[in-house]
Amino acid sequence: MTQTLPAIRRVAILGGNRIPFARSNTVYANASNHDMMTATLQGLVDRFNLHGERLGEVVGGAVMKHARDFNLIRESVLSTTLAPETPAFDIQQACGTGLEAAMLVANKIALGHIECGIAGGVDTTSDAPMGLNEALRKILLRLSRAKTTGQRLAALSQFRPQMLVKPALPRNGEPRTGYAMGEHCELMAQEWDIAREDQDALALQSHQNLARAFKDGFFTDLMTPYKGVTQDNNLRADLSLEKLRSLRPCFDKKVRPEQGTLTPGNSTPLTDGASAVLLASEAWAAAHQLPVLAYLTFSEVAAVDFFDKKEGLLMAPAYAVPRMLARAQLSLQDFDFYEIHEAFAAQVLCTLKSWEDASFCRDKLGLAQSLGAIDKSKLNVNGSSLAAGHPFAATGGRIVATLAKMLAQKGSGRGLISICAAGGQGVVAILER
Amino acid sequence: MSQIPILEITSLPSTLAGLMAVLQASRKRPGTVESLAPVIYVRPAVTLDTGALAAYAQVCAGTPEQGVPLLYPQMLTFPLAMAYFASSYCPWPAMGTVHLANRVQQHAPLHASDVLRVEMQTGQLLAHDKGQVFKLEFRVLKDDQLVWEATQTLLRLGVKNPVGPAYASALNNDHPLSLQSGFVAGSGIGRRYGRISGDLNPIHLSALSARIFGFRRAIAHGMWTQARALSAMLPRHAIAQAQVHVEFKTPLFLPARPTLWTTRAIEGDLSHNALFEVRNAKGDKPHLRASLSYNLA
Repeated sequence: MTQTLPAIRRVAILGGNRIPFARSNTVYANASNHDMMTATLQGLVDRFNLHGERLGEVVGGAVMKHARDFNLIRESVLSTTLAPETPAFDIQQACGTGLEAAMLVANKIALGHIECGIAGGVDTTSDAPMGLNEALRKILLRLSRAKTTGQRLAALSQFRPQMLVKPALPRNGEPRTGYAMGEHCELMAQEWDIAREDQDALALQSHQNLARAFKDGFFTDLMTPYKGVTQDNNLRADLSLEKLRSLRPCFDKKVRPEQGTLTPGNSTPLTDGASAVLLASEAWAAAHQLPVLAYLTFSEVAAVDFFDKKEGLLMAPAYAVPRMLARAQLSLQDFDFYEIHEAFAAQVLCTLKSWEDASFCRDKLGLAQSLGAIDKSKLNVNGSSLAAGHPFAATGGRIVATLAKMLAQKGSGRGLISICAAGGQGVVAILER
Repeated sequence: MSQIPILEITSLPSTLAGLMAVLQASRKRPGTVESLAPVIYVRPAVTLDTGALAAYAQVCAGTPEQGVPLLYPQMLTFPLAMAYFASSYCPWPAMGTVHLANRVQQHAPLHASDVLRVEMQTGQLLAHDKGQVFKLEFRVLKDDQLVWEATQTLLRLGVKNPVGPAYASALNNDHPLSLQSGFVAGSGIGRRYGRISGDLNPIHLSALSARIFGFRRAIAHGMWTQARALSAMLPRHAIAQAQVHVEFKTPLFLPARPTLWTTRAIEGDLSHNALFEVRNAKGDKPHLRASLSYNLA
């Protein structure tokens, strides 16, 4: 017997919370993923008075995660004042984790599976997990399989003292190519001929925009102070172009010796932080008398072949956005705000340039004409990752909450989110009000 | 043209003979002249030697994909300039002559094994606060086609009442530059470049020999510093046409870790244009300033 499926519902974004982001090995050096995620969730619970509430689901994750944190989000939920009956699960999609989590929660709400949920993400590169030395790990596994004393001694005889001081460290790199994200982006900057000057100008704009947003109190109801920090500590309000020009390229050696354009100033630093977003059905929002900031209406994920076909590693958003626009029957210019995650200034500039490039749009995107240019004054108007920093999995939640509030302030409108991720992936979405 | 004497150099003097000629000529006394006696020195058939190109690329950090380096033909002109300085045509000795500026234009790419005609001609005089500026013009022809040319602007220190129009810097510095990279100028780089170029001026060779001539340490050849910077400025493949105009600002004392500051956000004569400076490690003092334009091959 077939049942009529319930109509798809609008998914409301009610608010968000994050702790200030902090550069790696600074103020959050001793904070774990669990600590930061818990503080962020609790801040959200406090702000929306969700104490003791059983939510439909909490979804989130961390990119740099130890195996013992397999249930990181569920454990964090249990550490908050949410009802312990609130289910949770972990996901991981590199820098797309936070936005993907929001899409998963939103889809369940849209289908009526749940009424409300929280999406979030957290990352620490300070309190990073370290593996045992790989050779030592193999010895220990062999030891645990051994059944006789002889087998045990044979395994132990392989042990060498240096295995104790050479742990397996996590790498911020692409396993398939061996290049760091920045090296991949340097290659993209070369392919798309992105000038150093333009990258530095975008970085300066990001800092100026974020500084203004803090000064205006924009983040007051989007942030919970943590460990005495009230503002992203990567933000340099007094940054100047002169300072940016004086920074030495840092990703050139392997891919573009002496000709690099990406510097520590126009690239995001390793960052610690966490974020969370509260999503719900309109009925749940009304029942709780919570105003709706914006609606999450469309999403899309794309991936590119950066290995065999040599597409730029961080170019997937350039593919994801036009596919989403086609489904939404919108043009690239139909937006009031553009939130393009600034993994690197060059990533943003490559993406924008590719959408203006007729042959890329024709040959790679299969479009009759190029998507065209955007109004740059609508881009990352309250700053983005270059200024705020980029705790991988926490960036999506930061952007969703920021954009939802901007749309609420404006009263109506539409915003585009674009986030590039390791593995050649791009996660994008549309918020509307 | 017919009155200008043309002197052919078909065999190169040994290093020792060359040094002796320079020492002999250093007895010349600086003085004011009305103009440089017109003279043309010629090497009628020079073959671009693969081994010499490789040695040059190694010393100047060139890459094989870049082809014959933009400044390399100037190496072929060195014996002509030395012959001129040693001759009675030149009123002043080579030693104590300061390289102020250099302008190079490549009209067509060169290739290893090309047979070239290399010419030097005396040029214009300009007046400078510190002495007499004079120019030497160089031309490289392949199959009677001009493929490369250069102008060396040199300063003879201590000439009283220099003649000619006033020397003025042609490169302004209105454009802000960004730190692109740094490189190492090792203590032996003057000897290494000296060996391949033939320019064995003691001020480049060692701290001791430089001190005899009043420098606290050895200083890098300006043309090496420029070539080293160009290897980072130019793409890693061959270029078709190019021009580079450099002005040498302050000596680069060895050893050093100079920095390269650049901008490409400028207009220029060819499809790709850039300004660059080689500065000290801190980045607050320029050793040389240059403009560069090129077309890709």
